[in-house]
Amino acid sequence: MNDDERIDFGPLDPSRDRERWRRLVASVAHRAGEPGLARQLVDWGRPALLVAAALALLVWTAALLRPPAVAAPSGAAALLSEWAQRDEVPATTKILEVLGGEDGPR
Amino acid sequence: MSSRPANSISSEATVALVVRAQRGDADAFASLAAAFLRAAYSVALAIVGRPADAEDVAQDAFVLALERIRTCRQPERFAGWLLQIVRHQALSWLQKRRLRDVSADEGGATVAIAPVATEHAGLAERLVAALGGLTTGQREVVLLHDLEDWTHAEIATALGISEVMSRQHLFNARRLLRAHLAGDAVTETGS
Repeated sequence: MNDDERIDFGPLDPSRDRERWRRLVASVAHRAGEPGLARQLVDWGRPALLVAAALALLVWTAALLRPPAVAAPSGAAALLSEWAQRDEVPATTKILEVLGGEDGPR
Repeated sequence: MSSRPANSISSEATVALVVRAQRGDADAFASLAAAFLRAAYSVALAIVGRPADAEDVAQDAFVLALERIRTCRQPERFAGWLLQIVRHQALSWLQKRRLRDVSADEGGATVAIAPVATEHAGLAERLVAALGGLTTGQREVVLLHDLEDWTHAEIATALGISEVMSRQHLFNARRLLRAHLAGDAVTETGS
């Protein structure tokens, strides 16, 4: 026997039992073919992420294009502002009433 | 001398199968597994050292590879790409086994494999024991060449080594294996 001759690894050959090996090969192909949870998540995750990104872009664009809304003054502030614009000096009781002093000073 | 496995395929056929597998063709998965699972087993065996464990590692690695087949950018280098995944899986498996063995030792359990007396061991056990005296590179080459019947060119491409190195590994591996199997005390790997 010289070193150019092959070593007989037959006893370590898993395909000696042909039927068992055939099942093993089929099992590998089957396992690889069926979608696992991780792959399903990835498969669904990508389009879901795209839709979410598109929606966010739409909302953001709409918000940018809309003119800024100026909050209309209301209540006491509106009334005080109106008096100031008209240079009107109301009676003290009226001012107190507007500012919440309906019950009058205690 | 072993003959070329019946399920071995040409590099052109491999490329075609990889492309089909990348499109999700289940038949291509099965053909690739039939053609390359034994090579995956050989490399796994070279690293984990136990045939039953090597089968498990090879199967898991192959499933992983097929799941990631779309990331195989060079279908003509499929074998090398696959064997890299097998190596990674085998090393990771080996690391887990070592951790398991250490924790079992700490718990007082005996997990070490009892050495098998050569004269009573089966040929498979003797071969496994003899392979234990080689380097991982030598084991990969001798198993891919003598078990899987790959050429030196195929081995060199798949393992990322030169053909000269492949021949050298094979020569040394066979010499050491024969010495071990003949009962000679060969202790110096690769010398």
